[in-house]
Amino acid sequence: MELSSVISGLPHSVIMLERNEYLKVKGSADTNIYFIESGSLRAFVLDDCEEQIIRFGYTGNIIVSLDSFLTERPSDFYIQAIKKCELKVITKRDFKLFLDRDKSHQSWWISVLEELVLQQMEREVDILTTSPKERYNRILKRSPRLFQEIPNRYIANYLRMSPETLSRLKKS
Amino acid sequence: MISIKVFKVHKPELCPVKINGMLTEQFIQGLIEETRKVLNQSEKLNAKDLNYLTWKSNTESWSILECLEHLNLYGDYYLPEIRKAIRRSTAAPDTNVKPGWLGNYFAKSMLPKEKLNKMKTFKDKDPMNLHAPLTKEIIAVFIGQQHELLELLNEAKGANLNRIRIKTSISPLLRLKLGDTFHFVINHIIRHMAQIERVEREIQY
Repeated sequence: MELSSVISGLPHSVIMLERNEYLKVKGSADTNIYFIESGSLRAFVLDDCEEQIIRFGYTGNIIVSLDSFLTERPSDFYIQAIKKCELKVITKRDFKLFLDRDKSHQSWWISVLEELVLQQMEREVDILTTSPKERYNRILKRSPRLFQEIPNRYIANYLRMSPETLSRLKKS
Repeated sequence: MISIKVFKVHKPELCPVKINGMLTEQFIQGLIEETRKVLNQSEKLNAKDLNYLTWKSNTESWSILECLEHLNLYGDYYLPEIRKAIRRSTAAPDTNVKPGWLGNYFAKSMLPKEKLNKMKTFKDKDPMNLHAPLTKEIIAVFIGQQHELLELLNEAKGANLNRIRIKTSISPLLRLKLGDTFHFVINHIIRHMAQIERVEREIQY
């Protein structure tokens, strides 16, 4: 099943975000699933006034505050538009109804979550990799799209290095 | 004293919420959501140029930057006061919010009404009195304050909104409950964000 076709079959509303607008802020509980029709977003936490980017979302992806979605409790994540965005909003309730309707829907959702677990494991290794060059190479190989869609200063933050180090690595 | 032109608010977006007895968690969630909307409005303003941001319909009324500077002056006072009080206190949180009559009155009186309720500005909170340079730095400071407010709202989940008291900017003898102070500060921000929307509608004409 293709993600976009699943989403368009579900009841949804549409919201627009201008650049830099927030979809979610720290301390709110947001259980919606957002399908990114166009634009890009970033999820980050503030650590002592310092932003640390966790993930990006591009056109054709979904972005969810997964902890809130699962627990229905507030979470610490901020989600902010990097570029102007059009998002389809699916409530947890509607999504659950969809999953319960058919066994194939459930196995599809499990495969989406499995893919996510694999990505998270990759990301964990990224963060634990000491050499900035090695971190950069791993991500360049894994998601070349990142470098096409996301401004450098955000990529540098995601890679836990200064923008200067990133531009030096890109040149070499 | 500042007079603000009376304009009809097209869509009164604020529904009166009954706070007495509300769950503390719900109360804070509501304020966090309001702060998110304020952040989004200020990010949009941040994309405008200085001509737009300093425009005013007459010499008496405030420009967008002056409205934000006015809010910054309040933030400069209340944010550190709230932070100190939360960190000093050891009282466990209550399940429910119990507004005080005065705090509730203050908070409610802040909300913009259908027909604009003019208010006096204290001299020390009047941006036109201070002659601060009107630059976009004011928006950066304002956005920083909203993030700080979010931090404090999150910290306040573990604090007692009914027992902690905050000195008002009017007088140290006049103290409001922490819950009422948050409510008042955020309604005051909402009031001036509505004023900014009116200024923006005037610019369109």
